[in-house]
Amino acid sequence: MKIEGKHKFQASQKQIWDLFMDQRHLEKALPGCEKMEEREPGKYDVLLKIGIAAVKGTYRGKMEVVDPEPPKRYRLIGEGSGSPGFVKGEAVIELSQQDQDTIVSYQGEMQVGGLIAGIGQRMIGGIARMMVGQFFKKMEKELKSQQ
Amino acid sequence: MKPGAFEYFAPSTVAEAINLLDRYGDEAKIIAGGQSLVPMMNFRLARPEVLIDINRIKELDYIREKGDELLIGALTRERDLESSPLVQERCPILAKAVSFIGHFPIRTRGTIGGSLVHADPSAEIPTAILGLDARMKVVGPSGERTLEPEEFFLSYLTTSLEPSEILVEVKIPALPKKAGWSFVELSRRQGDFAIVGVASVLFMGQGGVCKEARISLGGIASTPIRAGEAEELLAGQILNEALIEKAGQKAAEATDPDSDYHASAEYRRDMARVFVQRGLKEAWNRVKGGQ
Repeated sequence: MKIEGKHKFQASQKQIWDLFMDQRHLEKALPGCEKMEEREPGKYDVLLKIGIAAVKGTYRGKMEVVDPEPPKRYRLIGEGSGSPGFVKGEAVIELSQQDQDTIVSYQGEMQVGGLIAGIGQRMIGGIARMMVGQFFKKMEKELKSQQ
Repeated sequence: MKPGAFEYFAPSTVAEAINLLDRYGDEAKIIAGGQSLVPMMNFRLARPEVLIDINRIKELDYIREKGDELLIGALTRERDLESSPLVQERCPILAKAVSFIGHFPIRTRGTIGGSLVHADPSAEIPTAILGLDARMKVVGPSGERTLEPEEFFLSYLTTSLEPSEILVEVKIPALPKKAGWSFVELSRRQGDFAIVGVASVLFMGQGGVCKEARISLGGIASTPIRAGEAEELLAGQILNEALIEKAGQKAAEATDPDSDYHASAEYRRDMARVFVQRGLKEAWNRVKGGQ
């Protein structure tokens, strides 16, 4: 299923790039993130605790920043699995400066399998979009704490 | 099909239930009527380690009138809402909405609180509650909060309830005698979840003027949604058929539904138009006679 959208930040492209590449901020902003470790630059091990309706579970996974073109564009590849199933995804993330602001746009494809797929793709897509929204809101908070 | 193993508690007061929630956090799940949770557990989709059965908490089962509000305990069965003379008189749209839920045996078990916290956007009670501007009272270890529907419903099957909180009461402003109302829905078979469900309320002023219109749609977004532009179009106007047709179009234009195996996005949007128009006409017909 496709997930796409954009979010406006009141900061420069460079500031936003640094924010999105910083594990300390990502760890705080990722919904349900219990732990995030940078194995090597741009490669992370993550532990997420996520509940969708009564289907709760812990997912272990990896996230990787690929083909970075600072401060404009990168690809993000991720996968995780846990008792309720697995999630795999890939997204292109683009940062573009507009006057004082930076627009972060994302376009991705996500696959969900295992037990959790029984909830239905339409619902999982909706919940994923909500989590992306929560992530951007928290990143905004992280940005403010920096400024 | 049988559920996985779980530990079982049956508290008899809200305070005990909160203590248990506080102790087990998101390992625990509350069971009320069990009409959504039990199937999910039997399919092993949900495997809560702890079940907190609130069916013995009698203090959560009531329908009361207080001033211009109806206070409904979270454990009130859907069938009791449907057949309550108080609900039928002070908030008939809720009784009507509930009549669309599943089938009779389901309504004798399912509760108002269970339907709200399950937060299926196609379900009738969430759609009606949004159209009625009701409030949800939730209680947790650190006290109580009162939430508006827009704060309460976050996405599909997701609410802003914390793991250690419990929904205890729904406060519904009673409808004035002169209000027009309707609840209409489209589903594949009677008793199925709605492809589109519409709750309409028209608050009338002097001379056939509609003071305020509320249109709440279920089944077409990740939460029930209000058709704000269509409501504005009707507010302060003397109603007529053409205006209602236009409101239906406006309501549908503002939606961005997804496709699934029940219905395509295009079909859902078009049915939103048809059912808003149908619902508004029914609501209007109810008040026209009384002028």
